[in-house]
This record gives sequence, C-alpha cells and structure tokens, in this order.
Amino acid sequence: MVSPELAFESLLNGLLIGGTYAVAALGLSLVFGIMDVVNLAHGHMLMVGAYVGILLFAATGITPLLGMLLAAALLFGFGVFLQRVLLERVVDKGMEQPIIVLFGLALVLESGGRIVLGSEPQRASLGIPGSSIPVGPAVLSFPRVVTFVVSVALIVAVWAFLKYTTTGLAIRATAQNTDAAQYMGIDTGRIYIITLGLGTALAGAAGALLSILFPFTPYAGWSYLLKAFAVVVLGGVGSVIGTLVGGLLLGVSENVGVLFIGGGYRDLISFSIFLLVLLVRPQGLFGSSGGGE
Amino acid sequence: MSSDESSADITIATTIPQEGAFSSMAEEMEQGYDLGVAHIEETLDQEVELLVENDESDPSVVIESLRKMAGDADMIWGSFSSELVTAGSSVAESEGIPFVAAYFAQEAPHRNEDYEWTYAAFPKSRDVARSTQGLLETIPEGERPTNVGIWEPNSDWGEEQSDSWEETLGDAGYDIVLREQYEYGSSDFSTMISQSANQNVEVLLSVPTPPDGITMIEQIEERDFSPDLTKFVRAADPQDWWNALGESGEYVCMCPGWVPGMTGNGNEEMWNAYVDEYGLEDDAFIRTAVGGGYNVAQVTAQAIDAAGSTDPSDVQGALQSETFETVIGSFSFEENGLPTEGELTAPTGQWLDGNQYTVYPETDDDRASDLQYPIPAWSER
Repeated sequence: MVSPELAFESLLNGLLIGGTYAVAALGLSLVFGIMDVVNLAHGHMLMVGAYVGILLFAATGITPLLGMLLAAALLFGFGVFLQRVLLERVVDKGMEQPIIVLFGLALVLESGGRIVLGSEPQRASLGIPGSSIPVGPAVLSFPRVVTFVVSVALIVAVWAFLKYTTTGLAIRATAQNTDAAQYMGIDTGRIYIITLGLGTALAGAAGALLSILFPFTPYAGWSYLLKAFAVVVLGGVGSVIGTLVGGLLLGVSENVGVLFIGGGYRDLISFSIFLLVLLVRPQGLFGSSGGGE
Repeated sequence: MSSDESSADITIATTIPQEGAFSSMAEEMEQGYDLGVAHIEETLDQEVELLVENDESDPSVVIESLRKMAGDADMIWGSFSSELVTAGSSVAESEGIPFVAAYFAQEAPHRNEDYEWTYAAFPKSRDVARSTQGLLETIPEGERPTNVGIWEPNSDWGEEQSDSWEETLGDAGYDIVLREQYEYGSSDFSTMISQSANQNVEVLLSVPTPPDGITMIEQIEERDFSPDLTKFVRAADPQDWWNALGESGEYVCMCPGWVPGMTGNGNEEMWNAYVDEYGLEDDAFIRTAVGGGYNVAQVTAQAIDAAGSTDPSDVQGALQSETFETVIGSFSFEENGLPTEGELTAPTGQWLDGNQYTVYPETDDDRASDLQYPIPAWSER
C-alpha cells in the first residue's frame, strides 16, 4: 500500500528529476529537429560537459552552476568545429552518413575519456551550503531543487532565444523549409553551424549541471543518450516546450511507476513509454516540424 | 608453455578488476595476493609465479583471460565479487584446475553447479546474514532496532543475500518493512530513499557495487535520511569509499571477509609483511581486501603442503580433507567447495575516523571497537 505522503514525495522527486532529463535532451531535440541529424554523440558530449564541471570543481572549488558556462562555451566551440570539419561534408547526404560520423565520434570520446580520466565514477557537488527542503509531508534534496530551477531557466532561455531573436527566427525558418529559407536570404550553412554549436553547448551545460547530482564515467554517454531519446520522442522532435514536458512526464512516470512495480523496472517504464508514444503518437506530444515554438 | 615447462615451481593464474565497477578493490587485492605469494615461497621454500591479467570487472574477460593462462597454471585464484568469481570457476571446472577464491559470498553456484574444483575460502550469504544478526545482538535489548530495510540489486547474489537476510532476521523477530529491488548502475535512488523513510527503516542493508553504494550515501545525505545502522556489504569494503565520501561515509558497516582487528592465524605475520613491503602510516590500517587475498594464499600453501605436490588431483584432495588456518579464521570445505557451515564467523567492520574497525565479533585488538549505534543524524555530525 503506497501512502499519500510517499506518493506525493515521489511525484515531486519525479518532477525534479524530469527537469534534468529535459535539459539533457534539449540539444539532441534541437539538432534533430532543425538539421535532421541524429546526434549519436550527444550523450558523450554531455559526459564531456560533466567532466568539465567535475574537474573545474575539483581544481578550483568553482560550483558547476558556474562551470556549466565554461562547459557550454567549450562545447559550443567543439560543435562549430565538428560542423565545419566533419558534418558539413555529409549533412546533405542522407541520414546514414552523419549517424556513422557521430557514432564514431561517440566511440572516440568514450575511449579517449577512459584513457585520460580513468573509469572510476566521479562527481562534483553543488559547492554551496544547503540542506534538504521540507515541502508539506515531503523532504526534497536541496541540490535537486537547485538543478531543477536552473534546468527550467535554461530551457526557457532557449525557447525565448528561438522565439524572440532574429537568429532564432532564422533557425526556425531553416527548420521548416531549408530551400525557402535560402530563397529568403538566410545563410543556412551558418544556421547549421549555430545550431550544432547550440546543441553541443546545451549538452555541455547539461552535463556540468548533472555532475552535481550523479556520478559520471566515460561510459555514461549511452545511457544519457537513450534517456534523451525517450524524452525527445515523448515531447516531439525540435519542440523546446515539448522537451520540457516530455522530461517531466518521464521523470514522474518513472518515479511514481517504481512505487508500484519496483525499482528494478525503472528503465522498463521509460522505454515502455517510449515505445507506446512511438506507436500512438509518433510525432510526440508537441510534435512539429521543429525550430522551437 | 605448460606448467611443467615453467621455470617456477608453482604457477598461479588470476585476474584482477583493474578497471570497471570493482576497480577500487584492485590495488588492495593485488597487495594481498603479492604478500601471499611471498608467504607461499617462504612456507614451502618453492618459487611461485603469479600470472595476472586485468579483467575489467567483466565476467567475459575473466573467462577469456583465464582460458589463455590455464595451460600454464597449477592453480587459479579468483577475482573480486561473486559475479566475477563464478565466471572464473567455469574455467577451472572445465580445465580441471584447483580454484580458490575469496570475495565470493554467493552460495547458489556451489549448490547448483556440482563444482569439483572450486573452493570458496570466504563467508557465504548465510554467514553474512548470521553475522548481521550477531551484530544487532550486540546492541542492548531495549535499544535494539526492529525495522529492517533491504535494498536488493537485481543480481543472483543480490537476491540470494536478500533472501538470507529476510529469513535469518525475520526468524530472529525483526520486521522486514522494506525489500526493494534496484538496477545495478542506477544513478537515482530517490524513490527507495523515500520508501525507506516512509517505512521508518532503522537498519538499512544492501550489497551494492562500490560506485552504487557511494551514490546511495550521497543521495541519502542530500535527502537527510538517517537510518540508525547501515550495512553495505562490498560497497564499503574499499579505501575508495572513504576517498569518495570522506566523513559522509563514516559509521557505515561492511562485511568484507577480513577486517583489521582480527587476530591469530597469521594476522600478525601478515601485518608485519605488509608494513615491510608497503609501509604504513602510524594511524593507518591495512585495507580489507588485502586480508582476503592473503587468506587465499594461506589456503593454497597449506593445501600444496598437505598434497606434497602441485598435481591437481592431489591438491584437490587436500582442499577437500584438510582444515585451514587463515587470517579470516579456521575452516574446512564441504564437499561442494563451500566453507563448512558454522565454522566461519563473517566479521563486520565499521568506518570510524577513516579506518575500518572490527565491531563484530568482539576481539581484543586495538583495531576493534564497539559498534557505534545509533548513527548520528546528518545534522548532528
């Protein structure tokens, strides 16, 4: 018998963890929605961002809340480099070639990470004093509340960027119809560079943020990629608000679901939802042609 | 090259998890094996060659590596954890080579696989459960906890150990108020923590991998959940527990087979050999996996000595018939390779001031302590 107090705490925990799922998926969703590129290295880029946060915290004590700015900047640069040097040559040659390139990149990042960083799990911490937070009958982890707030703020900022800036408008136009956007004078090559840079920067920021909550190894990329896929399918490819809602739904479903069927089935719940949405509403809850709302 | 062609008198093959989930135990384990090799050479006056491969904490790598080395080996020593040791035993059984392993608490393979060559020189799940009951009984009756929660990893040993705890402690009158399964490698334990707090779990028991156990404690602290006693078998065994958690890892109990504070049966010799070989700061203790490895070497030395040769059948016969005096206790083997029931008392240690003190059974060593119970709440530390 699940008590109301326990259900309430699990619901809140699900929302908090769902926010982190959403921010982990956001970059994947944008790149997929705007460029039609499935970034199989997204989870590994997130892992790199996590290590930026972890190493910076270990070396200087700087909180990953600030470390995420450095991680985002580094990964933005990496994304620009990646687009200009590798993806630009294959991005218009169908889905397969970019996937192969990015799969290879994922393996390189994983192996390189193992050589440079070792395989022991590492984690940062919030770096600011705090204690648990009582909410009615529930007790919530202070770092989880902080990371949730930052995650949602980051997602809203990306939404506002796409909605209210000229570059955001150009990105959305490119996502809707690349040829028409070019006819309208938009430099779609530049938009692709910005988009991949933004997507990888978001992966880096998400990684640094998540390093506060979870331990990372160089192997962590795949599990974050799978979770991000589930969120993207649930919310709809390219939809920023859909990604947030998808993340929250996934987090709540998992946390409340395991109360009833057991913690050994957490991933079963995630991927059952993933398959169900694919069957019933393949475009996701907020599915659109992409480019954000 | 066969063992007959080896320049050493005795050749032993083993794998060590230098990477992966159990890598935090690798250095300690290897130290125990290296000290053990010196012990055998001194005891038997024979040269020993130890062949070591990195198994990456992966059962398939254990099997692959041991198969490569089996042709040269007179004996095989186990890796770390029931999962990896079970994998190694399959090579020993197929090749007909005596296999001695510590860090191997799972009973089911011995019961189910009709082992002929595999010997577990280590307390089993039933011993760990009995030891947990003994530990709880050191608490005065009026202060003793009643509510037990079990966090069960979804593995064969996780299920077996949880069954043993549930049966032994349930029969002793404790209430098993929570038994919840989780997946190895999980990053989020918030629901189990909420469930445990909601069920008023006073004694928290689990057998996590070191990375999972460290994550659990971090999230338990963040959520401000304070059970009165926590026993994390395996996770809290290695020094990395303290390196990763610092004082957050204080007071957690473990059941690693050997704990500083045990006496007799070569413990003093092992300490002296360790200090000579590796040095040790004044307040520092030898780590637990060193004792497990050394104990395997003691069994090997006594078996070969009794057999009078390294012939596999002779050594097998000695393993089956002799009683072994080792740093973890005095024991013989049952027919299927289990330590004879009731002969080994699985010692429990507790992290106190950065070291692992024996808290059960009681010994008169300086490295033994009374159990610190109840654990202070996070806010009071």
